[in-house]
Amino acid sequence: MRWRVRAGAPADAPARAPSRGLRSILRAGELALFLAPFAGFWLLFRLGPVLYGVAISLYRWDPLGDVEFVGASNYLRLAADPRFWNALRNTLIFAALAIPGILALGLGLALLVFAYRHRPAVRWIEAAFFFPYLLTVSVVGLVWRWLLDPDFGAVLLALRSLGFRPPVFLNEPAWALPAIAFATAWWLAGYRMVIFRAALEDIPEEIFDAAKVDGATGWRLVRSVLLPLLKPAALFALVLTGISGFIVFGQVLIMTAGGPGRASEVLALYLYRFGFEYLEMGQAAAVGVVIFTLILLLTLLSFRWLGYGGAG
Amino acid sequence: MNVRAVARVGLVVATLLAVLWLAPVLWMFATAVKPTPHIFALPPVWIPSVVVGDHLSAVLIKWPFTRWVWNSVVVATCATVLSTVVSVPAAFAFSRLQWRGRDAVFLVFLSSMLIPLEVNVIPLYFLMNRLHLLNTYPGVFLPIVGMPVGVFLLRQFFLNIPQELDDAARVDGAGSWRILLSVILPLSGPALAALAIYMFVFSWNEFFWSMIALSSPRMFTLPIGLRALQGAYDIDYGVLMAGASLATVPAVLVFLLLQRHIIRGVTLTAFR
Repeated sequence: MRWRVRAGAPADAPARAPSRGLRSILRAGELALFLAPFAGFWLLFRLGPVLYGVAISLYRWDPLGDVEFVGASNYLRLAADPRFWNALRNTLIFAALAIPGILALGLGLALLVFAYRHRPAVRWIEAAFFFPYLLTVSVVGLVWRWLLDPDFGAVLLALRSLGFRPPVFLNEPAWALPAIAFATAWWLAGYRMVIFRAALEDIPEEIFDAAKVDGATGWRLVRSVLLPLLKPAALFALVLTGISGFIVFGQVLIMTAGGPGRASEVLALYLYRFGFEYLEMGQAAAVGVVIFTLILLLTLLSFRWLGYGGAG
Repeated sequence: MNVRAVARVGLVVATLLAVLWLAPVLWMFATAVKPTPHIFALPPVWIPSVVVGDHLSAVLIKWPFTRWVWNSVVVATCATVLSTVVSVPAAFAFSRLQWRGRDAVFLVFLSSMLIPLEVNVIPLYFLMNRLHLLNTYPGVFLPIVGMPVGVFLLRQFFLNIPQELDDAARVDGAGSWRILLSVILPLSGPALAALAIYMFVFSWNEFFWSMIALSSPRMFTLPIGLRALQGAYDIDYGVLMAGASLATVPAVLVFLLLQRHIIRGVTLTAFR
């Protein structure tokens, strides 16, 4: 059997072929062989669980093994639970702090590294900014918990010795989430930096020359030339960072375990506790569906704002 | 002040910032080797004057730490190899073969990138429980293999390989698999490396699902083991930082060896 040579040719094979029906069956079979391995994993472990999760969220799962269809009741219980709204609020606060933080830091570092791209030393500076990305989330959480320890944390001691009176970040309700968001930005900004820097390098040299002729330098160059050109890169960065913001879990668990009180309990932690500590699987599955919906909304909004693919 | 002086000052500032950026990591290593009284000294001992191995040996002797490293290596390697093996033919079908509905089907796969593993943990727990795969390596890495990242990345790369190469091979009588194996793959080294790095780092760091899927300490991966250390020592920061340091040393070594490849790999996975 043969695949049609070249894109754009008509979909049907030449009429002289011996048996068109047989050949198209063979072709479909071959196509299936190419797609099946990935599609199998994808159906079983990615798409399937989403639907399965919706189904689980419609039942009540008794730890003793009784299962009862309860319709939307798990969702109604979420809606009536102030703790759920607190977790949702905390997730949105975290996302609102961490996402712009990661993107702004990543962009700033990218511009810094890009500005010195002709210096050999910049390779090491870039490596230093990138390195935290390779740390596992437990290490990030443990290190920052230690740095922000109320009694012996290096950050607090350093700030005090400089004459400041810093809050005890992780033990103060208003400061716990910002501190976790800061640690997260430190962890992930280097990854964004590399992506933004690559996008900056894709900009043709002539554009910089033209901007120079027009007298655009410094901040004006960044604002009116570079940022608009980075828009497509920024869109994907926003969507992917956004997703990581809505599912934040590890660093929260390790740095504060949701505390003090429930001041930093986020949705993923709420899901974990209801599913695996209180064994309310139906309600936990409903939280998963809610997080998924939030991610969908964020994606649609950012496509709209940044006008990607549409008329803008 | 002239432009060159500004540039030089800027470079110095950038260097200082880079050092400050790494300070948390350096502090972690310093804490790991300080004797406990120095860890909790006021004013703090910024540079260790005495180096001890107590905390490091506590982690290595009292905990199956090396086993955790091994578990992480197995999980990350299996996830990386398996996802590359299944992604390559799928990416080929989405880029080099012509068939009706191709782009629509691809869009469906692509939009599932928006489903993070985390929202699926409850159904995955039910599923893995039924398959008797909780507390096993496949239980942790199989869900990672279903990620569409690899198909997306490789398709993008395959699309940029000139179609004339396929045509010439077909004229010579090569079938699709031959073209994939002897025309496309030999040209795809950078993309395969980028995907491998991305998948390895992702699965090495995976936390939420691993924590749910693994409950027996001997099956823990590194991130889950470190979390267990925290549960056991609470504020014994010497031991905690020793564990964190030991978990970080492989990353440092690999990064020093492969820095350029890793950073270039990241730019290839940037979905631009």
